[in-house]
Amino acid sequence: MSFFKVESVSDSISTWRFNGFENYRTLFSTAIFRQAMRNILNIWLVGGFGVMAVALFFAVSLTNGMRLVRFFRSVIYLPNVVSAIAMGTMWINYVYNSSYGLLHNIFSTLGLKTLSETLWTGPGNLFWSMLVAYSFGMVGYHMLIFMASIEQIPRDYVEAAFIEGANVFQRFFKITLPFLRGCFRTNIVMWTVFTVGFFVWGQLFSPVNLSNATVAPMNYMYEIVFGSSASTATVRNSGAGAGIGVIMMIIVIIAFMLTNLIVRNDDVEL
Amino acid sequence: MAKKAVTFEMRNQKRLIPSYILIIGWVVFTFVLISWVLFASLSTSQEIFSDHMFKFESGFHFDNYARAWRTQKVSVYFMNSVLYTAVSCTVIILIASPAAYVLSRFRFKGNLLIQNMIASALGIPAIMIVMPLFGLISRLRLTNNRWLLIFLYVSMNVPFATFFLLSFFKNLSSTYEEAAAIDGCSPMGTFWRIMLPLIQPGIITVTVFNFITIWNEYFMSMIFANKTTVRPVSVGLFNMIQAMRYTGDWGGMFASVVIVFAPTFVLYIFLSERIIQGVTAGAIKG
Repeated sequence: MSFFKVESVSDSISTWRFNGFENYRTLFSTAIFRQAMRNILNIWLVGGFGVMAVALFFAVSLTNGMRLVRFFRSVIYLPNVVSAIAMGTMWINYVYNSSYGLLHNIFSTLGLKTLSETLWTGPGNLFWSMLVAYSFGMVGYHMLIFMASIEQIPRDYVEAAFIEGANVFQRFFKITLPFLRGCFRTNIVMWTVFTVGFFVWGQLFSPVNLSNATVAPMNYMYEIVFGSSASTATVRNSGAGAGIGVIMMIIVIIAFMLTNLIVRNDDVEL
Repeated sequence: MAKKAVTFEMRNQKRLIPSYILIIGWVVFTFVLISWVLFASLSTSQEIFSDHMFKFESGFHFDNYARAWRTQKVSVYFMNSVLYTAVSCTVIILIASPAAYVLSRFRFKGNLLIQNMIASALGIPAIMIVMPLFGLISRLRLTNNRWLLIFLYVSMNVPFATFFLLSFFKNLSSTYEEAAAIDGCSPMGTFWRIMLPLIQPGIITVTVFNFITIWNEYFMSMIFANKTTVRPVSVGLFNMIQAMRYTGDWGGMFASVVIVFAPTFVLYIFLSERIIQGVTAGAIKG
Protein backbone atom coordinates (compact mmCIF):
# COMPACT_ATOMS: atom_id res chain seq x y z
CA MET A 1 0.00 0.00 0.00
CA SER A 2 2.86 2.34 0.75
CA PHE A 3 3.88 2.25 -2.92
CA PHE A 4 0.48 3.29 -4.21
CA LYS A 5 -1.42 6.52 -4.39
CA VAL A 6 -4.45 5.97 -2.20
CA GLU A 7 -6.66 8.67 -0.86
CA SER A 8 -8.80 6.94 1.70
CA VAL A 9 -8.08 3.68 3.48
CA SER A 10 -11.44 2.26 2.59
CA ASP A 11 -10.98 2.72 -1.16
CA SER A 12 -11.03 -0.58 -3.00
CA ILE A 13 -7.79 -1.90 -4.40
CA SER A 14 -8.85 -1.30 -8.01
CA THR A 15 -8.63 2.48 -7.51
CA TRP A 16 -5.04 2.38 -6.26
CA ARG A 17 -2.46 3.78 -8.60
CA PHE A 18 1.13 2.63 -8.53
CA ASN A 19 3.30 5.40 -7.28
CA GLY A 20 6.76 3.97 -6.74
CA PHE A 21 8.67 5.72 -4.03
CA GLU A 22 6.70 8.93 -4.51
CA ASN A 23 4.93 8.57 -1.16
CA TYR A 24 8.21 8.37 0.68
CA ARG A 25 9.54 11.36 -1.20
CA THR A 26 6.47 13.36 -0.23
CA LEU A 27 6.83 12.31 3.37
CA PHE A 28 10.43 13.30 3.69
CA SER A 29 9.84 16.64 2.04
CA THR A 30 7.03 17.46 4.44
CA ALA A 31 8.31 19.67 7.22
CA ILE A 32 5.98 18.31 9.85
CA PHE A 33 6.96 14.72 9.17
CA ARG A 34 10.63 15.52 9.49
CA GLN A 35 9.83 17.33 12.71
CA ALA A 36 7.95 14.26 13.90
CA MET A 37 10.94 12.06 13.18
CA ARG A 38 13.19 14.48 15.01
CA ASN A 39 10.81 14.45 17.95
CA ILE A 40 10.79 10.71 18.35
CA LEU A 41 14.53 10.61 17.92
CA ASN A 42 14.73 13.02 20.85
CA ILE A 43 12.27 10.98 22.84
CA TRP A 44 14.14 7.81 22.08
CA LEU A 45 17.59 9.15 22.85
CA VAL A 46 17.13 11.64 25.68
CA GLY A 47 14.06 10.07 27.23
CA GLY A 48 15.47 6.60 26.81
CA PHE A 49 18.71 7.51 28.46
CA GLY A 50 16.96 9.20 31.36
CA VAL A 51 14.43 6.45 31.85
CA MET A 52 17.01 3.69 31.71
CA ALA A 53 19.31 5.48 34.13
CA VAL A 54 16.57 6.14 36.68
CA ALA A 55 15.06 2.70 36.26
CA LEU A 56 18.41 0.98 36.66
CA PHE A 57 19.28 3.10 39.69
CA PHE A 58 15.97 2.30 41.37
CA ALA A 59 16.22 -1.37 40.51
CA VAL A 60 19.73 -1.67 41.90
CA SER A 61 18.84 0.21 45.09
CA LEU A 62 15.68 -1.76 45.66
CA THR A 63 17.39 -5.11 45.24
CA ASN A 64 20.24 -4.03 47.49
CA GLY A 65 18.52 -4.75 50.78
CA MET A 66 16.19 -1.80 51.11
CA ARG A 67 13.18 -2.06 53.34
CA LEU A 68 9.60 -1.90 52.05
CA VAL A 69 10.70 -3.07 48.62
CA ARG A 70 7.26 -4.35 47.66
CA PHE A 71 5.59 -1.11 48.59
CA PHE A 72 8.06 1.09 46.71
CA ARG A 73 7.99 -1.16 43.70
CA SER A 74 4.21 -1.12 43.55
CA VAL A 75 3.99 2.64 43.82
CA ILE A 76 6.64 3.25 41.19
CA TYR A 77 4.86 0.95 38.79
CA LEU A 78 1.50 2.55 39.52
CA PRO A 79 1.46 5.11 36.66
CA ASN A 80 1.51 2.25 34.15
CA VAL A 81 -1.73 0.90 35.53
CA VAL A 82 -3.63 4.15 35.39
CA SER A 83 -4.90 5.16 31.99
CA ALA A 84 -2.45 7.38 30.14
CA ILE A 85 -5.21 9.89 29.56
CA ALA A 86 -5.82 10.25 33.28
CA MET A 87 -2.10 10.58 34.00
CA GLY A 88 -1.68 13.14 31.27
CA THR A 89 -4.56 15.18 32.59
CA MET A 90 -2.99 15.26 36.03
CA TRP A 91 0.28 16.46 34.60
CA ILE A 92 -1.15 19.10 32.32
CA ASN A 93 -3.79 20.47 34.61
CA TYR A 94 -1.99 20.18 37.90
CA VAL A 95 1.78 19.86 37.79
CA TYR A 96 2.33 22.18 34.86
CA ASN A 97 -0.46 24.62 35.60
CA SER A 98 0.89 28.12 35.84
CA SER A 99 -1.57 29.53 38.36
CA TYR A 100 -1.99 26.80 40.99
CA GLY A 101 0.20 23.96 39.74
CA LEU A 102 2.68 21.96 41.74
CA LEU A 103 5.80 23.30 40.05
CA HIS A 104 4.47 26.82 40.37
CA ASN A 105 3.92 26.39 44.10
CA ILE A 106 7.27 24.74 44.74
CA PHE A 107 9.23 27.40 42.92
CA SER A 108 7.33 30.29 44.44
CA THR A 109 7.91 29.00 47.98
CA LEU A 110 11.57 28.68 47.12
CA GLY A 111 11.45 32.26 45.90
CA LEU A 112 12.48 31.51 42.35
CA LYS A 113 10.32 34.06 40.63
CA THR A 114 11.22 33.38 37.03
CA LEU A 115 10.90 29.63 37.36
CA SER A 116 7.55 29.85 39.09
CA GLU A 117 6.18 31.98 36.33
CA THR A 118 7.36 29.73 33.53
CA LEU A 119 4.59 28.49 31.33
CA TRP A 120 5.50 24.82 31.36
CA THR A 121 3.13 24.01 28.56
CA GLY A 122 4.03 27.13 26.62
CA PRO A 123 5.46 26.84 23.12
CA GLY A 124 9.12 26.51 24.05
CA ASN A 125 8.74 24.03 26.86
CA LEU A 126 5.94 21.88 25.59
CA PHE A 127 8.07 19.10 24.16
CA TRP A 128 10.28 18.71 27.20
CA SER A 129 7.35 18.91 29.57
CA MET A 130 5.66 16.19 27.62
CA LEU A 131 8.80 14.09 27.62
CA VAL A 132 9.22 14.36 31.39
CA ALA A 133 5.60 13.41 31.99
CA TYR A 134 5.86 10.49 29.61
CA SER A 135 9.12 9.22 31.03
CA PHE A 136 7.81 9.45 34.56
CA GLY A 137 5.29 6.79 33.74
CA MET A 138 7.70 4.57 31.84
CA VAL A 139 10.29 4.24 34.60
CA GLY A 140 8.22 1.73 36.53
CA TYR A 141 7.97 -0.73 33.70
CA HIS A 142 11.64 -0.77 32.88
CA MET A 143 12.53 -0.88 36.55
CA LEU A 144 10.50 -4.06 36.94
CA ILE A 145 12.35 -5.73 34.08
CA PHE A 146 15.71 -4.72 35.53
CA MET A 147 14.69 -5.91 38.99
CA ALA A 148 13.51 -9.25 37.70
CA SER A 149 16.83 -9.99 36.09
CA ILE A 150 18.91 -8.60 38.94
CA GLU A 151 17.11 -11.03 41.20
CA GLN A 152 18.25 -13.83 38.90
CA ILE A 153 21.91 -13.04 39.51
CA PRO A 154 23.33 -15.70 41.83
CA ARG A 155 23.88 -14.23 45.29
CA ASP A 156 27.26 -15.99 45.61
CA TYR A 157 28.95 -13.66 43.15
CA VAL A 158 27.85 -10.56 44.98
CA GLU A 159 28.77 -12.00 48.35
CA ALA A 160 32.15 -13.16 47.15
CA ALA A 161 32.91 -9.70 45.79
CA PHE A 162 31.72 -8.17 49.02
CA ILE A 163 34.07 -10.33 51.09
CA GLU A 164 36.92 -9.43 48.75
CA GLY A 165 36.22 -5.82 49.61
CA ALA A 166 34.71 -4.52 46.40
CA ASN A 167 32.74 -1.33 46.94
CA VAL A 168 29.28 -0.54 45.67
CA PHE A 169 30.42 0.83 42.35
CA GLN A 170 32.88 -1.96 41.64
CA ARG A 171 30.21 -4.51 42.43
CA PHE A 172 27.76 -2.71 40.20
CA PHE A 173 30.02 -2.35 37.18
CA LYS A 174 31.85 -5.66 37.43
CA ILE A 175 29.04 -7.99 38.39
CA THR A 176 25.58 -6.53 38.00
CA LEU A 177 26.04 -4.83 34.64
CA PRO A 178 27.57 -7.78 32.77
CA PHE A 179 24.73 -9.95 33.97
CA LEU A 180 22.18 -7.46 32.71
CA ARG A 181 23.21 -7.50 29.07
CA GLY A 182 20.29 -9.61 27.94
CA CYS A 183 17.98 -7.51 30.00
CA PHE A 184 19.29 -4.30 28.44
CA ARG A 185 18.47 -5.76 25.08
CA THR A 186 14.89 -6.43 26.13
CA ASN A 187 14.58 -2.96 27.59
CA ILE A 188 15.98 -1.18 24.56
CA VAL A 189 13.78 -3.10 22.15
CA MET A 190 10.71 -2.45 24.28
CA TRP A 191 11.62 1.21 24.58
CA THR A 192 11.91 1.45 20.81
CA VAL A 193 8.55 -0.21 20.34
CA PHE A 194 6.98 2.18 22.84
CA THR A 195 8.61 5.21 21.26
CA VAL A 196 7.47 4.24 17.80
CA GLY A 197 3.95 3.82 19.14
CA PHE A 198 4.12 7.20 20.84
CA PHE A 199 0.72 8.66 20.27
CA VAL A 200 -1.53 9.37 23.23
CA TRP A 201 0.76 11.86 24.91
CA GLY A 202 1.29 13.82 21.74
CA GLN A 203 -2.42 14.07 21.33
CA LEU A 204 -2.95 15.03 24.96
CA PHE A 205 -0.44 17.82 24.96
CA SER A 206 -1.80 19.45 21.84
CA PRO A 207 -5.33 18.18 21.49
CA VAL A 208 -6.81 20.19 18.68
CA ASN A 209 -4.25 20.51 15.94
CA LEU A 210 -0.88 19.02 15.28
CA SER A 211 1.85 21.17 16.69
CA ASN A 212 5.51 20.97 15.87
CA ALA A 213 6.46 20.42 19.47
CA THR A 214 4.47 17.31 20.14
CA VAL A 215 3.89 15.66 16.80
CA ALA A 216 5.04 12.07 16.50
CA PRO A 217 4.88 9.99 13.32
CA MET A 218 1.84 8.18 14.62
CA ASN A 219 -0.01 11.43 15.19
CA TYR A 220 0.82 12.48 11.69
CA MET A 221 -0.27 9.16 10.29
CA TYR A 222 -3.54 9.37 12.16
CA GLU A 223 -3.99 12.84 10.78
CA ILE A 224 -3.46 11.97 7.12
CA VAL A 225 -5.23 8.64 7.22
CA PHE A 226 -8.18 9.20 9.47
CA GLY A 227 -8.10 12.97 9.40
CA SER A 228 -10.01 13.75 12.58
CA SER A 229 -9.05 17.28 13.37
CA ALA A 230 -10.38 20.42 11.85
CA SER A 231 -7.09 21.43 10.31
CA THR A 232 -7.41 21.76 6.59
CA ALA A 233 -3.68 22.02 6.06
CA THR A 234 -3.30 18.27 5.94
CA VAL A 235 -4.57 16.34 2.98
CA ARG A 236 -5.76 12.82 3.25
CA ASN A 237 -3.13 10.51 1.88
CA SER A 238 -3.40 6.93 2.99
CA GLY A 239 -0.54 5.78 0.82
CA ALA A 240 1.82 8.05 2.70
CA GLY A 241 0.26 6.92 5.94
CA ALA A 242 1.10 3.34 5.07
CA GLY A 243 4.58 4.58 4.24
CA ILE A 244 4.91 5.86 7.81
CA GLY A 245 3.82 2.48 9.09
CA VAL A 246 6.49 0.80 6.98
CA ILE A 247 9.19 3.22 8.12
CA MET A 248 8.29 2.65 11.75
CA MET A 249 8.35 -1.09 11.26
CA ILE A 250 11.79 -0.87 9.69
CA ILE A 251 13.02 1.22 12.62
CA VAL A 252 11.87 -1.43 15.08
CA ILE A 253 13.51 -4.20 13.09
CA ILE A 254 16.76 -2.26 12.77
CA ALA A 255 16.77 -1.50 16.48
CA PHE A 256 16.16 -5.14 17.22
CA MET A 257 19.00 -6.31 15.01
CA LEU A 258 21.39 -3.64 16.23
CA THR A 259 20.83 -4.50 19.85
CA ASN A 260 21.28 -8.14 18.94
CA LEU A 261 24.62 -7.31 17.37
CA ILE A 262 25.89 -5.02 20.09
CA VAL A 263 24.59 -6.89 23.07
CA ARG A 264 25.19 -10.54 22.30
CA ASN A 265 22.85 -12.78 24.13
CA ASP A 266 25.60 -15.22 24.98
CA ASP A 267 24.89 -15.58 28.67
CA VAL A 268 22.70 -18.30 30.07
CA GLU A 269 19.03 -18.22 29.28
CA LEU A 270 17.51 -16.62 32.34
CA MET B 1 27.92 -12.84 65.74
CA ALA B 2 24.45 -11.46 66.09
CA LYS B 3 25.81 -8.07 66.94
CA LYS B 4 28.02 -8.10 63.88
CA ALA B 5 25.05 -8.90 61.67
CA VAL B 6 23.16 -5.99 63.13
CA THR B 7 25.98 -3.52 62.53
CA PHE B 8 26.39 -4.80 59.00
CA GLU B 9 22.71 -4.27 58.41
CA MET B 10 22.98 -0.78 59.90
CA ARG B 11 25.89 0.12 57.68
CA ASN B 12 24.12 -1.18 54.64
CA GLN B 13 21.03 0.84 55.47
CA LYS B 14 23.13 3.93 56.03
CA ARG B 15 24.74 3.60 52.65
CA LEU B 16 21.34 3.38 51.09
CA ILE B 17 20.20 6.74 52.44
CA PRO B 18 20.58 8.59 49.12
CA SER B 19 18.56 5.88 47.42
CA TYR B 20 15.92 6.13 50.11
CA ILE B 21 15.67 9.87 49.66
CA LEU B 22 15.26 9.65 45.91
CA ILE B 23 12.82 6.79 45.95
CA ILE B 24 10.73 8.24 48.74
CA GLY B 25 10.69 11.54 46.89
CA TRP B 26 9.44 9.78 43.78
CA VAL B 27 6.79 7.90 45.74
CA VAL B 28 5.64 11.04 47.52
CA PHE B 29 5.33 12.80 44.20
CA THR B 30 3.13 10.01 42.86
CA PHE B 31 0.95 10.23 45.93
CA VAL B 32 0.69 14.00 45.73
CA LEU B 33 -0.36 13.73 42.13
CA ILE B 34 -3.12 11.26 42.80
CA SER B 35 -4.38 12.72 46.05
CA TRP B 36 -4.47 16.17 44.52
CA VAL B 37 -6.79 14.95 41.82
CA LEU B 38 -8.93 13.31 44.48
CA PHE B 39 -9.15 16.55 46.45
CA ALA B 40 -9.74 18.61 43.35
CA SER B 41 -12.59 16.38 42.33
CA LEU B 42 -14.30 17.27 45.61
CA SER B 43 -13.84 21.02 45.30
CA THR B 44 -15.53 23.68 43.26
CA SER B 45 -13.82 25.25 40.28
CA GLN B 46 -13.18 28.49 42.16
CA GLU B 47 -11.58 26.65 45.04
CA ILE B 48 -9.21 24.85 42.70
CA PHE B 49 -7.96 28.15 41.36
CA SER B 50 -7.57 29.77 44.73
CA ASP B 51 -5.33 28.50 47.48
CA HIS B 52 -8.16 27.40 49.73
CA MET B 53 -8.45 24.08 48.10
CA PHE B 54 -7.57 21.73 50.89
CA LYS B 55 -9.72 23.46 53.48
CA PHE B 56 -13.03 22.42 51.95
CA GLU B 57 -14.71 25.59 53.19
CA SER B 58 -17.85 24.84 51.26
CA GLY B 59 -17.79 21.18 52.21
CA PHE B 60 -17.13 18.18 50.07
CA HIS B 61 -18.62 18.49 46.65
CA PHE B 62 -19.80 15.05 45.77
CA ASP B 63 -22.13 16.68 43.29
CA ASN B 64 -19.13 16.90 40.95
CA TYR B 65 -19.34 13.16 40.63
CA ALA B 66 -23.06 13.17 40.20
CA ARG B 67 -22.77 15.83 37.51
CA ALA B 68 -19.98 14.07 35.66
CA TRP B 69 -21.84 10.80 35.87
CA ARG B 70 -25.09 12.14 34.50
CA THR B 71 -24.45 15.04 32.19
CA GLN B 72 -21.08 14.18 30.72
CA LYS B 73 -22.05 10.66 29.67
CA VAL B 74 -19.47 9.07 31.92
CA SER B 75 -22.11 6.51 32.77
CA VAL B 76 -22.39 5.50 29.11
CA TYR B 77 -18.64 5.20 28.65
CA PHE B 78 -18.24 3.42 31.94
CA MET B 79 -20.90 0.84 31.19
CA ASN B 80 -19.44 0.30 27.72
CA SER B 81 -16.03 -0.34 29.21
CA VAL B 82 -17.44 -2.67 31.83
CA LEU B 83 -19.18 -4.65 29.10
CA TYR B 84 -16.11 -4.74 26.84
CA THR B 85 -13.67 -5.76 29.53
CA ALA B 86 -15.93 -8.36 31.12
CA VAL B 87 -16.80 -10.09 27.87
CA SER B 88 -13.30 -9.89 26.40
CA CYS B 89 -11.57 -11.18 29.53
CA THR B 90 -13.89 -14.18 29.63
CA VAL B 91 -13.49 -14.94 25.94
CA ILE B 92 -9.72 -14.57 26.15
CA ILE B 93 -9.53 -17.19 28.87
CA LEU B 94 -11.88 -19.49 26.98
CA ILE B 95 -9.63 -19.30 23.91
CA ALA B 96 -6.21 -19.03 25.47
CA SER B 97 -6.34 -21.69 28.13
CA PRO B 98 -7.29 -24.63 25.87
CA ALA B 99 -4.79 -23.35 23.29
CA ALA B 100 -2.01 -23.17 25.83
CA TYR B 101 -2.93 -26.60 27.15
CA VAL B 102 -2.81 -28.24 23.74
CA LEU B 103 0.41 -26.48 22.80
CA SER B 104 2.08 -27.57 26.01
CA ARG B 105 0.91 -31.19 26.03
CA PHE B 106 0.52 -32.61 22.53
CA ARG B 107 3.13 -33.10 19.86
CA PHE B 108 1.90 -32.32 16.39
CA LYS B 109 3.20 -30.77 13.20
CA GLY B 110 3.58 -27.03 13.48
CA ASN B 111 3.32 -26.91 17.26
CA LEU B 112 6.60 -25.09 17.59
CA LEU B 113 5.75 -22.86 14.65
CA ILE B 114 2.52 -21.77 16.34
CA GLN B 115 4.36 -21.09 19.57
CA ASN B 116 6.90 -18.95 17.76
CA MET B 117 4.19 -17.07 15.93
CA ILE B 118 2.44 -16.31 19.19
CA ALA B 119 5.69 -15.08 20.66
CA SER B 120 6.39 -12.80 17.73
CA ALA B 121 2.83 -11.47 17.81
CA LEU B 122 3.69 -10.04 21.21
CA GLY B 123 6.25 -7.75 19.61
CA ILE B 124 4.05 -6.13 16.99
CA PRO B 125 2.52 -2.83 18.06
CA ALA B 126 -1.16 -2.46 17.30
CA ILE B 127 -0.44 0.62 15.24
CA MET B 128 1.27 -1.39 12.52
CA ILE B 129 -1.80 -3.39 11.67
CA VAL B 130 -4.40 -0.71 12.10
CA MET B 131 -4.48 0.53 8.52
CA PRO B 132 -5.23 -2.69 6.63
CA LEU B 133 -7.58 -3.58 9.45
CA PHE B 134 -9.46 -0.34 9.12
CA GLY B 135 -9.70 -0.70 5.36
CA LEU B 136 -11.20 -4.14 5.76
CA ILE B 137 -13.55 -3.23 8.54
CA SER B 138 -14.89 -0.05 7.02
CA ARG B 139 -15.63 -1.93 3.81
CA LEU B 140 -17.48 -4.52 5.84
CA ARG B 141 -19.29 -1.61 7.52
CA LEU B 142 -18.45 -2.85 10.96
CA THR B 143 -17.12 0.33 12.55
CA ASN B 144 -18.89 1.46 15.69
CA ASN B 145 -19.91 -2.07 16.40
CA ARG B 146 -19.62 -3.27 19.97
CA TRP B 147 -18.89 -6.85 18.99
CA LEU B 148 -16.16 -5.77 16.63
CA LEU B 149 -14.44 -3.89 19.45
CA ILE B 150 -14.67 -6.90 21.70
CA PHE B 151 -13.33 -9.07 18.91
CA LEU B 152 -10.38 -6.71 18.49
CA TYR B 153 -9.62 -6.63 22.21
CA VAL B 154 -9.77 -10.39 22.36
CA SER B 155 -7.50 -10.95 19.42
CA MET B 156 -5.01 -8.37 20.65
CA ASN B 157 -4.66 -10.02 24.04
CA VAL B 158 -4.95 -13.72 23.27
CA PRO B 159 -1.25 -14.09 22.32
CA PHE B 160 -0.06 -12.77 25.65
CA ALA B 161 -2.55 -14.86 27.60
CA THR B 162 -1.65 -18.02 25.71
CA PHE B 163 2.01 -17.35 26.13
CA PHE B 164 1.66 -16.73 29.82
CA LEU B 165 -0.51 -19.79 30.51
CA LEU B 166 1.76 -22.00 28.42
CA SER B 167 4.49 -21.86 31.02
CA PHE B 168 1.97 -22.72 33.74
CA PHE B 169 0.82 -25.84 31.94
CA LYS B 170 4.38 -26.88 31.22
CA ASN B 171 5.11 -26.94 34.93
CA LEU B 172 2.21 -29.29 35.70
CA SER B 173 3.05 -32.94 36.00
CA SER B 174 1.39 -35.21 33.47
CA THR B 175 0.61 -37.76 36.16
CA TYR B 176 -2.64 -35.90 36.80
CA GLU B 177 -3.85 -36.71 33.33
CA GLU B 178 -2.68 -40.30 33.55
CA ALA B 179 -4.57 -40.78 36.77
CA ALA B 180 -7.67 -39.20 35.25
CA ALA B 181 -7.41 -41.37 32.16
CA ILE B 182 -7.13 -44.52 34.25
CA ASP B 183 -10.22 -43.52 36.19
CA GLY B 184 -12.07 -43.14 32.90
CA CYS B 185 -12.16 -39.39 32.44
CA SER B 186 -12.35 -38.10 28.86
CA PRO B 187 -9.61 -35.74 27.62
CA MET B 188 -12.02 -32.82 27.62
CA GLY B 189 -13.24 -33.69 31.08
CA THR B 190 -9.67 -33.88 32.28
CA PHE B 191 -8.99 -30.42 30.97
CA TRP B 192 -12.08 -28.75 32.42
CA ARG B 193 -12.21 -30.58 35.73
CA ILE B 194 -8.57 -31.09 36.59
CA MET B 195 -6.15 -28.98 34.61
CA LEU B 196 -8.06 -25.71 34.59
CA PRO B 197 -8.55 -25.56 38.37
CA LEU B 198 -4.86 -26.34 38.81
CA ILE B 199 -3.73 -23.28 36.91
CA GLN B 200 -6.21 -20.98 38.57
CA PRO B 201 -3.51 -18.61 39.90
CA GLY B 202 -2.23 -18.14 36.37
CA ILE B 203 -5.69 -17.45 35.06
CA ILE B 204 -6.32 -14.84 37.72
CA THR B 205 -3.05 -13.05 36.96
CA VAL B 206 -3.71 -13.03 33.25
CA THR B 207 -7.25 -11.79 33.68
CA VAL B 208 -6.24 -8.94 35.94
CA PHE B 209 -3.58 -8.01 33.45
CA ASN B 210 -5.98 -8.14 30.52
CA PHE B 211 -8.51 -6.15 32.45
CA ILE B 212 -6.07 -3.29 32.90
CA THR B 213 -4.86 -3.41 29.31
CA ILE B 214 -8.36 -3.38 27.87
CA TRP B 215 -9.65 -0.77 30.26
CA ASN B 216 -6.87 1.61 29.28
CA GLU B 217 -6.78 0.75 25.59
CA TYR B 218 -6.91 3.93 23.58
CA PHE B 219 -5.69 3.77 20.02
CA MET B 220 -7.90 1.01 18.64
CA SER B 221 -10.98 2.30 20.40
CA MET B 222 -10.39 5.78 19.11
CA ILE B 223 -10.27 4.61 15.51
CA PHE B 224 -13.00 2.03 15.58
CA ALA B 225 -15.46 3.69 17.93
CA ASN B 226 -16.27 7.26 17.09
CA LYS B 227 -19.84 7.34 18.27
CA THR B 228 -20.68 8.30 21.84
CA THR B 229 -22.85 5.29 22.46
CA VAL B 230 -20.12 2.74 21.88
CA ARG B 231 -17.09 4.57 23.24
CA PRO B 232 -15.11 3.07 26.11
CA VAL B 233 -13.83 5.25 28.97
CA SER B 234 -10.36 6.06 27.71
CA VAL B 235 -11.58 7.71 24.52
CA GLY B 236 -14.57 9.16 26.29
CA LEU B 237 -12.37 10.72 28.93
CA PHE B 238 -10.23 12.40 26.34
CA ASN B 239 -13.25 14.01 24.72
CA MET B 240 -14.70 14.95 28.06
CA ILE B 241 -11.54 16.66 29.16
CA GLN B 242 -11.46 18.71 26.01
CA ALA B 243 -15.10 19.69 26.47
CA MET B 244 -14.80 20.58 30.14
CA ARG B 245 -11.75 22.70 29.61
CA TYR B 246 -13.87 25.04 27.59
CA THR B 247 -16.88 24.96 29.84
CA GLY B 248 -14.63 25.59 32.83
CA ASP B 249 -16.06 22.76 34.89
CA TRP B 250 -12.78 21.76 36.51
CA GLY B 251 -14.31 19.98 39.47
CA GLY B 252 -16.40 17.85 37.15
CA MET B 253 -13.40 17.17 34.94
CA PHE B 254 -11.29 15.88 37.79
CA ALA B 255 -14.24 13.89 39.07
CA SER B 256 -14.49 12.10 35.76
CA VAL B 257 -10.75 11.46 35.79
CA VAL B 258 -11.18 9.83 39.18
CA ILE B 259 -14.14 7.76 38.02
CA VAL B 260 -12.12 6.48 35.09
CA PHE B 261 -8.99 5.48 36.92
CA ALA B 262 -10.67 4.22 40.07
CA PRO B 263 -11.37 0.63 38.90
CA THR B 264 -7.82 -0.12 37.79
CA PHE B 265 -6.43 1.73 40.79
CA VAL B 266 -8.47 -0.25 43.32
CA LEU B 267 -7.65 -3.48 41.54
CA TYR B 268 -3.99 -2.58 41.63
CA ILE B 269 -4.01 -1.88 45.36
CA PHE B 270 -5.22 -5.39 46.06
CA LEU B 271 -3.42 -7.30 43.34
CA SER B 272 -0.23 -5.38 42.61
CA GLU B 273 1.97 -8.43 43.23
CA ARG B 274 0.11 -10.46 40.64
CA ILE B 275 0.25 -7.68 38.08
CA ILE B 276 3.97 -7.23 38.56
CA GLN B 277 4.41 -10.96 38.18
CA GLY B 278 2.59 -10.76 34.85
CA VAL B 279 4.78 -7.92 33.58
CA THR B 280 8.05 -9.60 34.41
CA ALA B 281 6.99 -12.98 33.05
CA GLY B 282 5.94 -11.46 29.75
CA ALA B 283 9.02 -9.30 29.43
CA ILE B 284 11.75 -11.75 30.32
CA LYS B 285 10.54 -14.54 28.09
CA GLY B 286 9.38 -12.25 25.31
